[in-house]
Amino acid sequence: MNALLDIRGLTIDIDRDSGPARVVDGIDLTVAEGESLGIVGESGCGKSLTMLSLVGLLPNRIRATGGVADFAGKDLLAMSSEELRRLRGSQIGFIFQDPMTSLNPVMRVGAQIAEALVYQSGMAKPAAMERAAELLELVGIPSPRDRLMAYPHELSGGMRQRVMIAIGLAGSPRLLIADEPTTALDVTIQAQIVDLVRDLKDRFGMSVVWITHDLALIAGLADRIAVLYAGTVVEDSPVDVLFERPTHPYTRGLLASLPTLTDKPMSRLPSIAGTPPEPGRRPPGCPFAPRCALVTAVCTTSVPRLAPVAGSAPGHRAACFVTAGEGAS
Amino acid sequence: MTDGTIINPPEDRPSSLWRDAWRRLRRNRLAVAGLVVLAVLVFVAAFGPWLTPYDFLSQNLDARNLPPSLGHPFGTDDLGRDVMSRVIYGARTAFLVAVLVTVVAVLIGVVLGAIAGFYGGRFDKTLMWVTDMTMSVPQLLLVVVINASLKQPISLWMEARYMETMNPLYRNSAIIDFVLVFGSMALISWPPYARLVRAQVLSIRNRPYVTAARALGLTNRIILTRYVMPNAVGPLIVAISAGLGTAMVLESAFSFLGIGVNPPTPSWGNMISDGLRVWTNYPHLLLAPAAVLAVVTVAFNFLGDGLNDALNPKGQK
Repeated sequence: MNALLDIRGLTIDIDRDSGPARVVDGIDLTVAEGESLGIVGESGCGKSLTMLSLVGLLPNRIRATGGVADFAGKDLLAMSSEELRRLRGSQIGFIFQDPMTSLNPVMRVGAQIAEALVYQSGMAKPAAMERAAELLELVGIPSPRDRLMAYPHELSGGMRQRVMIAIGLAGSPRLLIADEPTTALDVTIQAQIVDLVRDLKDRFGMSVVWITHDLALIAGLADRIAVLYAGTVVEDSPVDVLFERPTHPYTRGLLASLPTLTDKPMSRLPSIAGTPPEPGRRPPGCPFAPRCALVTAVCTTSVPRLAPVAGSAPGHRAACFVTAGEGAS
Repeated sequence: MTDGTIINPPEDRPSSLWRDAWRRLRRNRLAVAGLVVLAVLVFVAAFGPWLTPYDFLSQNLDARNLPPSLGHPFGTDDLGRDVMSRVIYGARTAFLVAVLVTVVAVLIGVVLGAIAGFYGGRFDKTLMWVTDMTMSVPQLLLVVVINASLKQPISLWMEARYMETMNPLYRNSAIIDFVLVFGSMALISWPPYARLVRAQVLSIRNRPYVTAARALGLTNRIILTRYVMPNAVGPLIVAISAGLGTAMVLESAFSFLGIGVNPPTPSWGNMISDGLRVWTNYPHLLLAPAAVLAVVTVAFNFLGDGLNDALNPKGQK
């Protein structure tokens, strides 16, 4: 499969008064054409920043300082802000976390969907509104033509997230980046949104990057999962292999902390002791070493590289000296 | 589909921000009173020439300094002019000055403040420096300076135009007064608007829906005009309402001091100034314009307060 997006060695720094602090430390990720990649990790591990950096939407004082991000053969990190602007919406679509605040409260829903079509693709307004109605229908909103005139506050959370998806899809992007799009929603609606995105992905053959901290949710959507910890990819694997044979101790910890139906009632869920390192205060060796139960001497001195897991399926890679079998650097 | 329900059924759709605000405003009695007073003011200012029983300039030396009566509800002044007619014409002056000054000041303030807040950088720093400077100098002093330095060149220019065109309009000293009063007042009135808008834009530009608009690839200009500014107008409207009142008081203050609108054009300020000299003998000459000015100013403040509460649902008690 051809790589649509190929990120190599991406680093992102926060400019602090005390000097730069690294939040993303050499991330490698690829997304193939038509593939969906799940990016899993806890808050602050750099998963959102990585995706925002691709399209030049990093907040003030946070900058991508190194690496390459090829998108359809062109390095996104080397593009001018104007080139990136043209790319946003038309080539790379976004869905954001909070549908309650990600829609302009004073603008009708239809106008917001048509916005990108009118100003980005130069479509005439009536045609854009027509297309907006089609998009609303596509994302499963009943009587879409009436909803075009609704204000965001007149819609429920799930409806609003559907509108967000319609906006993300409006430019027919090749890559859709969904940044925790279900975190703010009820569980039943989460599943509906996941199903919707999977359907749309299959229908349009786009690639999807789904950022989440919910492993269970994404199992039904992603082809591949990348597990991020403290700004690095610690494990990257086809989804079924990951659940069958989690290799990095952090991934194992994540999976072990998912509740299952066979758990004894009232039993405590296992958790991973400790907290991730703060940006700029990374331990010298493996970033997970201070919390790892399998830590060895080498873990505290050198950084493990992402390497194929010995004896596992092709495409399964992990960054661990102890469990991945090889890959000491 | 569980999320297929709509929170508000379509029939009570009109619960938009503005409709809610209007409903809340109508419940506020003081604000409604202010609105009524201002409606009367606008009506009087607009139709003044058809409402006044007498011409504001016509003198009747046989009827000087008359106390209020049926024929002259506010009495007459030392030249026998009808005070009520002059107050009504003064309303035109006050209203014209207040509206024009506020429009110019708001335009300057909104444009500069929005650009400064949205783009930041050196422009922002310079603008804040200029507003600090302007706001730190006493307003009266600044107006006197601007007046003094602009009056001469403008008069010369007008005279030159008159010689060129022979259009008597260019010899009308009232026009120079108005231009000077507008100009200098607008020049000192915009900084607070610029700061307000800048602060609004600073807080709004990082909201998720602005990021979402960026992610759509919209240009900065469209994001600023369609996503940021429409969400910033609430506090601006409150400030405009209060600013209109302030501008009227300011105009009266300048005319009172003789640096604003000059006689014979009636202005509440110069009427108060004239009335003050003789108020022990003819209190109505002071009372009439002063009372009207006070009522109008209070009305603007009531309306501003009401708008503040109405447009800020979180501040509701």
